[in-house]
Parts: sequence; C-alpha cells; structure tokens
Amino acid sequence: MDEAQLIKGIQQGDRKSFHILVETYQRMVVNTCLGIVHNKADAEDLAQDVFLEIFRTAENFRGDAKLSTWLYRIATNRSLNLIRNNKRKRFFQSIEETFIGGRNRTSEISENRADQPDQNITDQQRSDMLHRAMDRLPEKQRIAFTLNKYEELPYQQIAEVMEISLASVESLIHRAKKNLQEQLLDCYKKKCV
Amino acid sequence: MKTKCIHNDLIFYLDNELSVEKKIAVEKHLEECADCRGFLAFLKEGIQIIDREKKPEVSPFFYTRLSARLDEKSETQAQSQWVRLAQPAFFSFVLLAGIYGGLKLGSNASSPKINQQVTSSVQMLNDFAAEPIESFLLDGL
Ligand SMILES: [Zn+2]
Repeated sequence: MDEAQLIKGIQQGDRKSFHILVETYQRMVVNTCLGIVHNKADAEDLAQDVFLEIFRTAENFRGDAKLSTWLYRIATNRSLNLIRNNKRKRFFQSIEETFIGGRNRTSEISENRADQPDQNITDQQRSDMLHRAMDRLPEKQRIAFTLNKYEELPYQQIAEVMEISLASVESLIHRAKKNLQEQLLDCYKKKCV
Repeated sequence: MKTKCIHNDLIFYLDNELSVEKKIAVEKHLEECADCRGFLAFLKEGIQIIDREKKPEVSPFFYTRLSARLDEKSETQAQSQWVRLAQPAFFSFVLLAGIYGGLKLGSNASSPKINQQVTSSVQMLNDFAAEPIESFLLDGL
C-alpha cells in the first residue's frame, strides 16, 4: 500500500490502513519526541497523541507534503507543548515551594540514583548534562538539532518540516552546536560531571 | 610556541565540518594541548549519548493501547454527539412546554380578572350613583 492509498484509507476511517501507518512510523515518531522530551514513556504518550491527531484530522492532509513531514511537524509541536506545560507547572510548583514549602526535588533525584550501580551514575550524569544543555537551546534550534541528530534528516527535509529556508536551517543547527559546545565547555571547566 | 586554544571548533571538528586547512590546524593544536584533548574527549562522550539513546524499541503494546484510546474516543465522541443533539432538543421542548403552559395559565387566569375589573368598575359607577358627589369630596378632607 503506498502513501496515498494509506491516507485515503485513513480518511475513510479504515482501521487497517491506520494500523499499517502506525507500524510504519511509530519508531520515527517516538524517536523524534524522545529527542525533545528525553523520556521514553513521555515520548510514547506523545506519539500516541500524534497518531490520534492524524486519524482525527486525516481529511485535512492535502498530499502536497510527504506524510513523514506532516508527522514530524505534529510530533515536534506536541513535544514543545509538553515542555512548555511542564515549565509552567514547575514555575508554579517552585512558587508553591517558596511560600508553602514542598518536597525537595534534588533529594528525590539522588534517591533514584542510589538504586543504580556506580558505572551508570556517570552515564546517567553525562546524559543529564547533555539533556540540560539541549533544553537550554531556543526552541527552533532544538527542533532543527533534534531532527538532524536523532532522525538524521537532511537539511532540506528539516526546512520542509519547519517551513523555513535551507539557509535558516543551516544557521539554526550551527548556532545550536555552538551553544551546546559552550555549555559543555563550561561544564568541563567546572567539572560538573 | 603553543597556538591559541580551539575549544570553539571542536564540535565542528567532531562532525567533520571544518575546512581542510582548519582541520589540519586543529589537529596540530590537539597534539600539543592536553586541555583541548581533554575537552574533545568530554565533548565526544557527551554527544555520543545521542547515538546511544536514539531510536529506542517501541513498546510492543503501542498499537493495542492506541487502538483502545481510539475506541474510547469514538465512543465518547458518539456519546457527546448524542448529547449535543439531545440537549438542545430537550431544552427547546422544555421552553416550548413552558411557553405553552404559560399561555394556558395566562388565558385561564385572565378571564376572571377581566370579569373582576368589569364588576369593580360597575360597582364604582354604582357607588357614584348612590352617593352624592359633595359628600364624596368632603370625605377626602
Ligand atoms: Zn588548547
């Protein structure tokens, strides 16, 4: 079944076509979300939402873009939304903690780490460090970098997903790498890991 | 003499994005600078995290879960569609029943009222007839 047939089937509410689409693209969508939210369970939840949205809005798909481009667009938008909501929640939580006093998150993290063997501490710390650095990137840089590094997309396809020019993608990825390098250098100098 | 540190080029060196001349210069500096070599190793390990964590296996129940959510959604959607249709119909019925009831009550209630008004005006006329106008005016004082 080719892409057009698949979409046509889904537009008619055909579950078999939908199943094929999910099986074909689930890994791609989960991986894209993971690159932005850094948590597999969250990434799978987000991917589910992406496919539900596809099923619900299939009639809007015009076929002038590739199906994967459409999926990437929804996946990155939904992941950014989750991050924005979490940021908002954390902001209010921190206010609550300041005024009312709440649970200490750092102690929670170290409790979790205590269960893991020593080798994993450094791996885990290194991965936390990278995620923190990625999270500090401006949204557009983060999307372009994730699509390039996690999905290995060529710049041209990133430009289509983000609906920007090729030159803008080049510039975004260049700045993303520079920013990451700066943050990691800072961490290296301070021996943060 | 040691050349200037090249911390800022290393991520591009790792991704093989430097020009040939720059690449040679970076490699030359790396040979003589332990600090830059240290940072290069640190950077490489950090960026390699991506290769290790990307493209994870998706849960085998991914579609089963999704399918259940889809059923749930279409059920609630069908339900909400029914509610969407039934609710205005119900309220319209209540409104119409109210208007009808109101009219019915109104028509029942208005007939004795008119009669009453007629009788009272007749009574007043009768009162005028029975009482001389002067005493009526004097009573007011
Ligand atoms: Zn150096």
